[in-house]
Amino acid sequence: MADMPSGFWSGWIIALTLSSLAGVAWLVWSIYYGRDLQEESEVEPVWDEDLEEGHNPPPLWWFWMLFGALIFTLVYIMLFPGLGNYSGVLNWSQGKRVADSYEDFQANFAEARAEVLNMSLVEIQNDLDLMDTAERLFRRECSACHGPDGRGQANMFPNLHDVDWQWGASAEQIEQSIRGGRNANMIAWQAILGDEGVEQVADYVVNLRQGVDESHPGRAMFQQNCVACHGMDGTGNPALGAPNLTDNIWLYGGDMDAVRETLQQGRFGVMPAFGERLDDMQIKLLIALLVR
Amino acid sequence: MNGLTFHRKVEENTGLLIFGILFVSAIGGLVQLMPVLNQESLETATANTRPYSAVELTGRDIYIREGCSVCHSQQVRPLVAELERYGPYSRAGEFVYDRPFLWGSKRTGPDLHRLAGKYSDDWHRIHLLDPRAVVENSIMPAYPWLAERAASETGNIEAKMTALRRLGHPYTDEEIANAESDLEGVMEIDALIAYLQMLGTGYSAEEESGE
Ligand code: HEC
Ligand code: HEC
Ligand code: HEC
Repeated sequence: MADMPSGFWSGWIIALTLSSLAGVAWLVWSIYYGRDLQEESEVEPVWDEDLEEGHNPPPLWWFWMLFGALIFTLVYIMLFPGLGNYSGVLNWSQGKRVADSYEDFQANFAEARAEVLNMSLVEIQNDLDLMDTAERLFRRECSACHGPDGRGQANMFPNLHDVDWQWGASAEQIEQSIRGGRNANMIAWQAILGDEGVEQVADYVVNLRQGVDESHPGRAMFQQNCVACHGMDGTGNPALGAPNLTDNIWLYGGDMDAVRETLQQGRFGVMPAFGERLDDMQIKLLIALLVR
Repeated sequence: MNGLTFHRKVEENTGLLIFGILFVSAIGGLVQLMPVLNQESLETATANTRPYSAVELTGRDIYIREGCSVCHSQQVRPLVAELERYGPYSRAGEFVYDRPFLWGSKRTGPDLHRLAGKYSDDWHRIHLLDPRAVVENSIMPAYPWLAERAASETGNIEAKMTALRRLGHPYTDEEIANAESDLEGVMEIDALIAYLQMLGTGYSAEEESGE
């Protein structure tokens, strides 16, 4: 941590600092107590006919003030780093100071944290104060993407208050979503299906929720390419983050244009990992806020 | 000689007085500045700090051109509140490839030094094109033109990297030769996002605790 000047430059600092201090001490001392102070008055220059240098010494409290400052300086550079690579008697460093005060700061919450970690999710949900804290936390950390109320936005960041969970609705799955983040990965289908294929499959998907009959031209392609992730019946697979395509809840949009775009360019939604950014208690509060 | 006679001599001789003033004020500079100029840790990159790639370097130039540092600082100060909000405070060795550094001094928006990974590329894209689309009350300006211009138009990347190499950034011949092709098809907004997504990645907790 300590990042001190070393070698020659350390000596340079020490020598210049100490000799300046000595110089100042000599100057101050000799002005008040110099030996030949009185003896020289006859060579005093005279300006403008009668302007002479006065010989009243400066007030004595100046002397003590200046000397006090010198002594303070000496004590200070003995205690704290300042003289080259000498780190001072107290071994003080800014890094250590910050680390210590951060630890103290964290210690203030140790008890409250332990308490929350021992509560069940239902208990937390019934505690209005804690839920307030959770909401504030959500607004601070999550609202830029999921919207201030968590209802999603920009056709890209999902609504966290609906019944549809891409990655699973259980407390464990939500914790995984928050802690580790999520990287959805659906490749672009344009090259594989071609223009006509995309058109037919998109039409199939758009109509899936009303039920499509067996003869739909997109059906075979859907069965062949999509069921591995979205499931035989299109209801999705939380392990892969593949959404349910048979309900009326869409992330990127459920009309023909949006689905066509989804298929043409693929979708790669990214939820950043918060495992390092948030502590266990904060994550638990957020789970309590989101889980039903 | 004592202080008073010395004082008199100086007072009667303007040339000496000027020299004396310069000499005394120079000492402060000599003690404070000279050792810092020669301090190794300021020139030694932290383990994870690397020179900017061609794309990131271009993104950085766009960041400078658009004046982002008017509103955003890039320095997490060693204060508890900042550690809590942004993460580990900034280390000198993280800025060795920043010419000039973009620490900034005004925070109309949040500090950006520990931004990498906080948001997805998609979020940055929406936010830069129209901040209000994702942050309801944002006062950050929109930068729609970033999506319309090719990153390669922001100056001669080869010349830039060669100049930086002369200043000691360890670019290889190959990196410089490939710089232009690296920028092919990259729009300004992509380059800027690539830059934003590597801000603050020079820090490593292992290195700090190892010291
Ligand atoms: C590798 C697994 C996988 C395959 C195969 C796959 N998908 Fe997906 N699909 C996903 C994932 C994961 C998402 C979520 C993407 C995201 O959230 O960014 C998704 C999203 C979608 C969406 C967007 C849903 C919404 O809410 O907006 C549609 C539509 C879709 N897929 C249709 C299809 C079709 C049609 C096929 C077959 C041509 C297909 N998928 C094949 C994994 C897959
Ligand atoms: C950079 C934007 C961003 C931020 C910030 C963000 N998320 Fe997300 N989150 C996403 C995206 C995008 C998805 C959907 C990923 C996908 O396409 O599958 C997601 C998905 C989720 C899911 C899974 C939803 C499902 O349907 O299974 C949960 C839970 C979640 N986020 C919670 C949070 C919480 C809690 C926070 C705050 C600590 C947060 N997110 C912050 C972008 C973000
Ligand atoms: C007029 C001042 C202003 C300027 C200029 C400005 N910003 Fe911002 N920025 C803000 C404010 C205010 C916020 C907080 C609100 C928000 O997230 O939009 C912000 C937020 C951000 C964030 C999100 C940070 C976080 O941690 O949440 C990023 C990233 C960002 N700005 C990047 C940029 C870039 C890149 C530029 C230059 C192209 C820029 N800003 C120019 C004011 C500004």
